[in-house]
Amino acid sequence: MASMCEATTKVLPGAAVIELSGEVDGSAAAVLTDAYQRAVTSAAAKSPAGVDGPGTVVLDFAAVDYINSTGIALIVSVLARARAERRKVVACGLSAHYREIFDITRLSDFIELFPDLDGAVSQLTGPAA
Amino acid sequence: MTQPARTAAGKPRRLDTFSLPSEPGNERLALARVAGTVKDLGLSEARLEKLKTAVAEATMNAIEHGNGNHAEIPVEVEVSQDGDEIIVAISDQGGEATAGDAQAGDAQAGSAPAEEPDLLKKLDGAQSPRGWGLFLIRNMVDAMDITTNGQRHTIWLTMRTGGAAHGEHV
Repeated sequence: MASMCEATTKVLPGAAVIELSGEVDGSAAAVLTDAYQRAVTSAAAKSPAGVDGPGTVVLDFAAVDYINSTGIALIVSVLARARAERRKVVACGLSAHYREIFDITRLSDFIELFPDLDGAVSQLTGPAA
Repeated sequence: MTQPARTAAGKPRRLDTFSLPSEPGNERLALARVAGTVKDLGLSEARLEKLKTAVAEATMNAIEHGNGNHAEIPVEVEVSQDGDEIIVAISDQGGEATAGDAQAGDAQAGSAPAEEPDLLKKLDGAQSPRGWGLFLIRNMVDAMDITTNGQRHTIWLTMRTGGAAHGEHV
């Protein structure tokens, strides 16, 4: 089954952002894995330190309209990989329904949730000097 | 067909029945059709979303674990109303194997005992990242029953039109 999920990536100071759209289900495995790799690699290339890449990966779900249990499994896999690489994962843009699913599954114990990308970014970069 | 015992007086009113080929992705069709059937029955938006997720997960289990993705074996869906309860019955031909496979979350795990999903174990690699389906369903609806009659395996999802499921804030 062709994936109905798309992902774009961008690099911010200290963070790599993966903007997801469409449906996050089992068919999104390659899309999400490739986006993660692209995001951390791009961030590492732009980092003054060079090799380690971003300390934080932001998953932006604002344009996602469907997540199922196999999509949850993909998010678990991304979180496991990020933890192994000592990166933090945060998420934003989830609807109330999917925030509750992140709570029920305990994903929100490990992934801090923000209402939107601006909120996540301002938290990550801290108050303006 | 064996149906779970119910205490509500009167006979359930059948609202819709339909069947779907067991093809990956068809759970979205079940979700949309059930949502359309129950949209005017008084469920809050939050509870409708929960029912939609439960229907999608149960249908996905039926397609994948019950009918083995064999398109020619249909998944049958029945929507009924019994007093303030909306009941969605989703049937496959997987017999006793359906629930165990669905809980374990992968095709090889059919013979293994069903294990509650544990995120820490999944993050540590001690459990498959999958296996969330039945867990999600149980936490979405007011009641979940499973019956088996020969090869016919049915999951019954009950959602009350006025209630709050599992810690839901109303």
